[in-house]
Amino acid sequence: MKPGTVLRQMLRERRRTVLWWTLAVLALTAITAASYPAVRDMGSALEQVLEFMPEGTLELMGAAGGITSPAGYLNSQLYSNILPILLLIFGIGTAAWTVAGAEREGTLEPLLANPVSRSRTALERFTGTAILLSVPTLAMTLLLIVLRTPFELGDVDAGKLVAAGVGTYLLVLLFVSLTYAVGAATGSKGGAIATGAGAAAATYVVFALSSFVDFFRDLRVISPWHWFLDNSPLIEGWNWPAIGVPLLVVIPAVALGTALFTQRDLR
Amino acid sequence: MTHSPAIESRALTKRFGSLTAVDSLDLAVQPGEIYGLLGPNGAGKTTAIRALLRFINPTKGTVALLGGDPRDLNIRRRVGYVGGDVTLDRGLRVRELLSWYGDLRGGVGTGAIDRLCEQLTLDQSRKIGELSTGNRRKVAIVQALMHDPDVLLLDEPTAGLDPLLQRTVLRLVRARRDAGTAILYSSHLLPEVENIANRVGILRRGVLVREDTMANLREVARQRLELRFARDIPPGLLTGVDGVSSVDIVGRTAHIVVDGSVAALVKRIAEHDVERIVTHNEDLEDTFFTYYQDGEDRP
Repeated sequence: MKPGTVLRQMLRERRRTVLWWTLAVLALTAITAASYPAVRDMGSALEQVLEFMPEGTLELMGAAGGITSPAGYLNSQLYSNILPILLLIFGIGTAAWTVAGAEREGTLEPLLANPVSRSRTALERFTGTAILLSVPTLAMTLLLIVLRTPFELGDVDAGKLVAAGVGTYLLVLLFVSLTYAVGAATGSKGGAIATGAGAAAATYVVFALSSFVDFFRDLRVISPWHWFLDNSPLIEGWNWPAIGVPLLVVIPAVALGTALFTQRDLR
Repeated sequence: MTHSPAIESRALTKRFGSLTAVDSLDLAVQPGEIYGLLGPNGAGKTTAIRALLRFINPTKGTVALLGGDPRDLNIRRRVGYVGGDVTLDRGLRVRELLSWYGDLRGGVGTGAIDRLCEQLTLDQSRKIGELSTGNRRKVAIVQALMHDPDVLLLDEPTAGLDPLLQRTVLRLVRARRDAGTAILYSSHLLPEVENIANRVGILRRGVLVREDTMANLREVARQRLELRFARDIPPGLLTGVDGVSSVDIVGRTAHIVVDGSVAALVKRIAEHDVERIVTHNEDLEDTFFTYYQDGEDRP
C-alpha cells in the first residue's frame, strides 16, 4: 500500500467542510479588522472606561498593552477568544472522529481489515486533522497581512502576524491532540471530546482568573492560554512559551494515544 | 499433516468483564474448505471472528491465519472479511469506497470490481448512505472478494439479502472455495450453510458443542413441516414413519416434526394429494434441539 492513502481519502472527504470553516473564520477576521479604525477613533474614551475595570481585565483580554493599539486590539478581539474557540470546535470535532468517532460509526473496523496498520491509520488521520486545521489558520493570517494596511493595523508587522498564527494553531492543536489521544486510547468519542474541550475550558478559566486570584496566578504555568496570551507573539514575536512549549504536549500525547490504540480491543 | 490450517484458533477464550463470550474454542479450517459456524445470536460467532482477525485480543489461547499473525500486513493482504454489522463510510459512493480499499490493498483491477458488482447487481455510482441494508451488504461482499483472498471470514454475509441474491453470494463463496480459499462462514440458520459447508461447528454460549460434517448433522437436524391435504387425512397414514417424532393433525393439515431425513415421510404421503408443504426454518435451538437441550441440563 502506498503511504498516505488513508490521509488523502480523509482530506478528499473533508475538503468542503474545511472550506466552510475557512470562510467563517475569514469573515470573522475581516469584520474584526475592518472595525479597528472605529475602535481606535474612540481611543482615549475607551481606555478611560477600561481604567474603571478591575485590574487584570486587560490581561484577560490579552491586551496588556492597551486595547486601542493594533496588537492589543487584535489580541483582545480575535486571538484571545473567538478565533481559538472557532478553531477548537472544528479541530476537536475532527480529531474525535479520526479513531473513536469512526469506531463508533462502525467504519474503522472494515478499514482495518485492509492491509493497513492501526498506527499508520491513526497517525495519517491525525496528520489530516492537523492539515485541515492549518487551512483556516493560514488563510486568516494571510488575510490579516493583506488587510493590515487598509485598516490601519500597520504597526503589526507581517512576521508577528505569522508568529501569532502559528501560536494560535499550536494552542488549538494541543487540545486537538488530547482529543485524538483519548479517542485513540479508549475508543470513546464522548470521552475524547470531553477531554479536549474540558481541558481547553479548564485551562482557560485558570488563565482568566490568574489575573484576579492568587491561587490561579500560581497555577497559570500549566495553562496553554497563559503560554500564548501572556507572551503574545503579536507583541513579542516568536517566543518559546507560545511556540515551543505546546509541542511538548502534542508530541507525547499523539505518541501515547497511538501506542495504546495499537494494543487495545476495537469496540 | 504437512499444511497448517489456513484459519486456526487454539483454546481461544475471550472474556468481556464477567461475560465469557468465547470459551476454549478450537477451530481449524483448511484451504479449499467452507466451515459453517452456526449459533444463535449471542452465541459468540462474531466475537470469535473478530478475535481471529485480532480486532480484539484473546483473553487466552492463540489465533492464526495462514499460519501467521492476523495483524501482519502480509497476511492481511490475503484475507477478506465481511463483518456482521456492516457500516461503510456513508458519504462515499460505492465506486469511491471500492477504489480506496483497492488502493489500500496495493491496487485491485477495476475489472474484478466491475464483475463482482455486476453479478450482485450493485450500482457503483450510488452513495453508500443512500443504499438499502441489502445493497450495503453487497458492497461489503465485493470489498471482501475483490482481491481473490486466500482466507475469507464471513459473519452472516447474506443477512438482509433476498433469496435470489443469497444464492448469488453462495455461488461466489463456493467459487472461492473451489479456488482454494479457506472460508469461515457464520450463520444462525442451518439451511443457509447446509448446501455449501463441508463441516459445521455449533456454538452455544461461546462453547463449541458439536463439530461434524454436514452429512452427519443432517441426520440429526430437526425439521418442522406442515402438510396440507386436499381431502381428509386417512387414519394411521402418518404413524410409524421413520424419522417422524411427532404428528399433530388439525382438520386437513398435519404438523409434523421430523428428525433427520424426510425421505420416508415423503414416500408415505406421495399418493395422498398433498396440496402444499410448508417448512419452517426454525432457529438453531430448534433444529439442533438435542444439543441445546443437553446443554441446558449441564451445570
